[in-house]
Amino acid sequence: MRELRPWLRLILKRPWRLLLGGMLILATLLSGIALLAVSGWFITETALTGLLLAAGMAASINLYVPGGAIRFFAVSRTVSRYLERVYNHDTVLRLLTDIRVALFRRLAASSRRLRNELTGAQWLSRLTNDVDALDTLYLRLIAPTALAGLVTVLMLVLTAILFDLATAFIVAGLLVAAFVVSSGGVYLRTRELAYRQSDRQESLRTAVIEHLEGFAELTAAGRTGKHGAWLMRQAYQVTSAQTRTDTRTGWHLAGTHFLVNLTAVISLWLGLGLYHADEVSGPVLVLLPIALLGLGEVYAMLPDAFGRLGATEASANRLNRDCAGSADGDPPAQPPSRTGVALHAKNLAVKHPGHAMLLTHFELELKAGERLGILGHSGSGKSSLADTIAGLLAPAQGSLSCLPGVYLTQRTVLFEDTLRANLLLGAPEASDTELWRMLEMVELADRFAAEPDQLDTWLGSDGNRLSGGEARRVALARVLLNRAAMVILDEPFTGLDSETRSRISKRMDVYLEGRTVISLAHGPDALPGTDRVIYLTG
Amino acid sequence: MAEPQAVRAWLSGLARGNRRWIQGTVAAGTVAGIATIVQMVLLARIVHQGVVEGVTVGDLTGLFVGLVGVLALRALAQGFQTRLAARCSERVQQDARRTLNRHWRATGPVALGQSSAGTLAREWIDHVEALHGYFARFLPQMALSVIVPLLILAIVFWLDWLAGAFLLLSAPLIPLFMALVGMGAEKLNQQHFETISRLSGQFLDKVRGLTTLQLFGQTAGAAELIQQRSDHYRRITLKTLRVAFLSSAVLEFFASVAIAVIAIYIGFGLLGYISFGPAPELTLFSGLLILLLAPEFFQPLRTLSQHYHDRAAALGAGAEILQRLESPVDNHCVPRAVETGGDQADPATVSLASVSVVFGDQPYVLRNLSLQIRKGDVVALTGPSGGGKSTLLHLLAGFMAPDHGTVRVFGEMPGSFRFGWLGQKGFLVQGTWADNLRLTTPEASDVAIATALRNVGLGPLLDSRPEGIYSQVSEDGQGLSGGQARRLSLARLFLADYGLLLLDEPTAGLDSDSEIFVLEALHKLAIAGKTLIFATHHQALLTLADRVLVVSGGGVRDA
Repeated sequence: MRELRPWLRLILKRPWRLLLGGMLILATLLSGIALLAVSGWFITETALTGLLLAAGMAASINLYVPGGAIRFFAVSRTVSRYLERVYNHDTVLRLLTDIRVALFRRLAASSRRLRNELTGAQWLSRLTNDVDALDTLYLRLIAPTALAGLVTVLMLVLTAILFDLATAFIVAGLLVAAFVVSSGGVYLRTRELAYRQSDRQESLRTAVIEHLEGFAELTAAGRTGKHGAWLMRQAYQVTSAQTRTDTRTGWHLAGTHFLVNLTAVISLWLGLGLYHADEVSGPVLVLLPIALLGLGEVYAMLPDAFGRLGATEASANRLNRDCAGSADGDPPAQPPSRTGVALHAKNLAVKHPGHAMLLTHFELELKAGERLGILGHSGSGKSSLADTIAGLLAPAQGSLSCLPGVYLTQRTVLFEDTLRANLLLGAPEASDTELWRMLEMVELADRFAAEPDQLDTWLGSDGNRLSGGEARRVALARVLLNRAAMVILDEPFTGLDSETRSRISKRMDVYLEGRTVISLAHGPDALPGTDRVIYLTG
Repeated sequence: MAEPQAVRAWLSGLARGNRRWIQGTVAAGTVAGIATIVQMVLLARIVHQGVVEGVTVGDLTGLFVGLVGVLALRALAQGFQTRLAARCSERVQQDARRTLNRHWRATGPVALGQSSAGTLAREWIDHVEALHGYFARFLPQMALSVIVPLLILAIVFWLDWLAGAFLLLSAPLIPLFMALVGMGAEKLNQQHFETISRLSGQFLDKVRGLTTLQLFGQTAGAAELIQQRSDHYRRITLKTLRVAFLSSAVLEFFASVAIAVIAIYIGFGLLGYISFGPAPELTLFSGLLILLLAPEFFQPLRTLSQHYHDRAAALGAGAEILQRLESPVDNHCVPRAVETGGDQADPATVSLASVSVVFGDQPYVLRNLSLQIRKGDVVALTGPSGGGKSTLLHLLAGFMAPDHGTVRVFGEMPGSFRFGWLGQKGFLVQGTWADNLRLTTPEASDVAIATALRNVGLGPLLDSRPEGIYSQVSEDGQGLSGGQARRLSLARLFLADYGLLLLDEPTAGLDSDSEIFVLEALHKLAIAGKTLIFATHHQALLTLADRVLVVSGGGVRDA
């Protein structure tokens, strides 16, 4: 339960909205119960009066109050139900926003090093599922549980007033049992199963993807059938855990119904005694058991929600773990102590946590304004070195000081947004003229001038409306727009033909005049202009 | 997208295969429904006897005991209903997965490779799982929402036909309800789904690029943007939802009004204010029973409307699965069992006789190609990209079939025996080195595995790992470079004693260290007398070959 605490705190930041939503649900539940209870009271009252009238005795009955009440509850049930659904759906969507924004802020504040471990489409889709599990925490779990408690208390008060205290105690005992069976009981019996479910599912997904990626190898070795059968068994374990959770939840729901109905029956039994002792009237005797029957609907919401609580906790746990805001954050890179030096690395070692050392004893001093090329084949630790210089990766050993800089990562990252928004990330204050000038430099001006939306052209998801070379040049333009004193370019010309490459490279030389540039590439022809070049042997 | 009718037919097919479980679920639900009716009868009877007839509590003990018994029966039936439903869904999911598995195998690696592994895995796991609610909840509830209301209607008619008529009046409305609920739920589901996926998309897009945002110091602005966009979508969605929720409000309204009307009718009837029809015969028993049954009449429908999104989810997922199952696979890519042509079964050669392959309107990839390769030869296939090297390898592997002509490998159909295949990407699974190698050769000994790994130059790496071949190869191939991963795949070929090895560009994109190890390894395999056929441009590999074939323009010639 502890894992849910930060998320509950976030949800409870809108207390009035939650309260109002809860009141609307309460109004719906009470209208439903009251509609039936008052109808039962009314029918019994009219039956008894009718008998008296038929026997020729004088009797009178007020038809207006109960008739009006029945009509009122019939309408109020419908109206409050409708309002409740609209209002609470709005709440859920708002909570969804709150949670996402909070999560994003936490991720942004978290250590980059930690996050480097968490990449890939699988992690992202799991993140979505985990967030979705928390979105509905209020509507599915918190509100129904709180309301079930509240309605139960109201019922007990009603029992004490209409019948007597002794009955109220017995009813209380049974209802508490029903409450426990439908909430905590389900939780305890499904927790473990549900908690492990999504981990199992993730490893199943990995196994399926591996099966498919190796399908040619497996086919050649004649192993697709065997390996497929193994996958089926893994999948069966996941579904059968689901089946067990479902079945247990179902039995708890049935048990809850049984206890609630039993409460109604016992209240009728005790009430009949009171009726014969003339302590309650016939109509009241009927009213209470019917009202208690209505509790079934209130409790019915709980088992399913508590059956999923284990999974929700697991989600919260993963989010807490993956998105923990680290206390230390990322220590800012120290600027070099001597003036005129842009970068100073001493006995630097580069590695990813948990992996083998990529580079050791790396020594480098770079004067301000110097242009360095770093060459190395794939796997030589080139990009990791760039990450380390840019501060994305902590040095495994040694010391590193460098001027704050701007970094073009090897992977092209564009956002699902307009060209303008993507470029402005590099220089939020840049004017349209500057943007066009930069586009001209990377030879994209004509391409976007031809688009009807010009700078507001939508780039699509991850820039998928651009070719690889175009996307690379947009990313390059974004970095060049930034006026930082140090520029790190990792494979700046990926996807460009050699002619375009050399034209852009020449223009860049002029543009980057006076700034310190580190460019990394697999071969000399993929580097922009340099003063000196070093080779990484890895 | 598959046609909705076809999807429904496919879902019914799955249901037919597990008919007994669904029938069992419905039967249990019906028992629960009947128990509910009996419960209400007993309740009304007790009230009538106790209040009107003045029977003492002690004399009603029998009825009370019966009542508790019926409650227990109802609970049991409800419990079994979920149990059977869950089992049914479990079996349906297994059936669907098995079908997909079979389809994958029939499709073969070449055609399957045209879809991303992530997409296929999503179909196999998530889309199949999306069928759960439909089979466990919606389908049985469909039947129950007809059976239980009809039972209740019959009893109410028998008690008081006018009250029955009130309910019946709503009966023609029931299909209308269902349509309304359906339309509303469908719209709701669709709208909700779209909003959620858009919001997720927005959010994930920013998370994916978080490092970039941080590098530019722009995270605060991005958080603001997520907030604004989410609010925008929320407002749009709510407009639709306000209308969509109206349909379920209509159902709620009819249910409430029917109860109110019946209560007031019964009340006036009991007072003797209504002198026509069956009203004068109403008693507290019949009146109360009708009142108690009225909500139960509508309950199954309300439950059905809650489960409606299960149907929408199953239809959506089913459409994608069905599309996969029915996707017209390119004829070539389906491994074919029967071929026409002569039967020159020479067990010592790989032979192609008048083989032609053509894709659609494009020029022939291979045209009337005849070729003999001796067993034990090392053959390099070279030529321009798109010239047909891969096609030729796929033919020899049996991953594809030619349009004309025959292919025989050592006198047998290609693909009818085990052979070694090395694709362009290394193939790793999560687990230990041993797991990875035993994937294709389950019976391999520890020593053989270590030897195979040393043969591809992974010895030093293996020695650096604490638990040797039982060390984890680490996740996602991280910690292994592309070259090391390819060498691991190559180690599998060492381990199994395959006569034929087919390799597609075994050195493409490798760093120089890995390249040397791969070359050495291939050389060892060649010396061991294996038949090696590989596609390559690499000079060193061409030198290794006994025979170099240039594949281009639909033909093959010796270089």
